[in-house]
Amino acid sequence: MDTNQVILEVSHLEKSFGSHSVLKDIDFKVKKGDVVSVIGASGSGKSTMLRCINLLETPTKGHIYYQGKDITEPGTNVCAYREKVGMVFQNFNLFNNMNVLENCMAGQIKVAKKAKEEAEKNALHFLEKVDMAAYINAKPRQLSGGQKQRVAIARALAMEPEILLFDEPTSALDPQMVGEVLNVMRTLAKEGLTMIIVTHEMAFAKDISSHVIFMADGVIAEEGNAQQIFETPQKKETKEFLARFRQGI
Amino acid sequence: MISEMNFLERILYILQKYGTSYLKGAGTTLLIALVSTFIGCIIGFLVGIIQTIPVDKTRGKGNRDPFLKRIVLGVVNAVLKIYIEVFRGTPMIVQAVFIYYGMSQLFGIQLGMWQAAFLVVSINTGAYMAESVRGGIISVDPGQMEGAKAIGMNHVQAMTSVILPQAFRNILPQIGNNLIINIKDTSVLSVISIVDLFFVHKSVSGALYTYFESATIVMVIYLSMTLLTSKLLRLWESRMDGDENYELVDVMDIGRQLGTKDKRA
Ligand SMILES: Nc1ncnc2c1ncn2[C@@H]1O[C@H](COP(=O)(O)OP(=O)(O)OP(=O)(O)O)[C@@H](O)[C@H]1O
Ligand SMILES: [Mg+2]
Repeated sequence: MDTNQVILEVSHLEKSFGSHSVLKDIDFKVKKGDVVSVIGASGSGKSTMLRCINLLETPTKGHIYYQGKDITEPGTNVCAYREKVGMVFQNFNLFNNMNVLENCMAGQIKVAKKAKEEAEKNALHFLEKVDMAAYINAKPRQLSGGQKQRVAIARALAMEPEILLFDEPTSALDPQMVGEVLNVMRTLAKEGLTMIIVTHEMAFAKDISSHVIFMADGVIAEEGNAQQIFETPQKKETKEFLARFRQGI
Repeated sequence: MISEMNFLERILYILQKYGTSYLKGAGTTLLIALVSTFIGCIIGFLVGIIQTIPVDKTRGKGNRDPFLKRIVLGVVNAVLKIYIEVFRGTPMIVQAVFIYYGMSQLFGIQLGMWQAAFLVVSINTGAYMAESVRGGIISVDPGQMEGAKAIGMNHVQAMTSVILPQAFRNILPQIGNNLIINIKDTSVLSVISIVDLFFVHKSVSGALYTYFESATIVMVIYLSMTLLTSKLLRLWESRMDGDENYELVDVMDIGRQLGTKDKRA
């Protein structure tokens, strides 16, 4: 496997809401198979950055290259791009009008134009992977948070994305359900899926990440491998942030 | 004669003599109400959907919407707004006269009274439904749209398979409301000589001078129609909501289907 292949490059990314500048000059690269964790204080711009990568927010300045192509250029096929770069949300965002199976089939049929049988087979495969195959007939409102999030992951996986973005996938969950979702993500990481994960689960981030980005006030304050960021952070902000977390635990 | 009968006898007498006329009138009323509510809903959905097409208002490079799209949408939305305000802000009885006579005097189009009836009630319902649909769409959690976009759906796909079904469920009670209002309000169409239930009432009571008795009959018929409508709509709503429970599926079966049974066992 070509592990040095840069699959996503964020270059001088800026984002402002009106006069409020939220992201200032964000720069980083993601290689195939990387698991990048993004940590940082609330309001530092982590979600905004992820949403810019998925083009749910329009970047104010800068470029995002996916497989070498600048997807911030007008005329980009945004939908085709999103098919390849999936996203898992804090609040799951499962389709409330569909059951679990339909949730995992809708995108395959409408977007990827797969035949119904193939879509169903594929959906069942990924639902089984997140251990939710038994619940195919349930509606989202009938599931627990952890179950919903696992279905949301299966839905994203069913599109067979190249990169999966996670925005605090366990923050809306009761503590006893966090583990089941993190375990699914661990499996995905082992299988070599490229992921960018915004998280407040520091132990998990340390464990799983090939690269860690620490954000503060809209910039990348420090980055490095898990060892560097969690064991030997260099910047004062990083140290303070991590110290606050250790106290919390 | 009729002046010597008591209340009940008069009602029976009227029913014997004009029962079928009342039924026909009720049929006309129902027909106009049902068809016009249906067409009105279609109008309302179209207008509501157009009004909720997102326009990227960010300035500069990032804006993905071409200038022309923004201009056209702006004009269309302004026209739709005027339509809604005019038809919500004026009585249907005046609209009926306005359209029936206006079409012939302004455009030389001689509408039949049936065409005029369907047209007026549909357009009127459309104006109300447009606002309901817009509200129904806006009230769907924005996360639903983001979830749809995140798996690559475009606006049309997201609307048809995710947002509109939920918006439709949200506004189903209001569709029912409009249907009931239309059953009652078709009575104003007697101004353009539609022989609906109310028209029959006017003719009968005009001929026999039995205002109270005829009104009683008509009240009962209107009420039966509206109560039945409410009941049916409730049933539809609960059917849409589906079961409160779900069946767990035997995972072994799925495993067998996928050929992964051994792994799980
Ligand atoms: N749509 C928006 N309009 C205006 N300001 C916004 C918008 N979205 C985010 N912001 C602002 O951008 C800043 C960064 O928000 P963001 O959600 O990216 O932070 P975060 O790092 O994800 O925080 P958290 O850990 O709490 O999720 C915040 O100050 C927020 O108020
Ligand atoms: Mg966030």
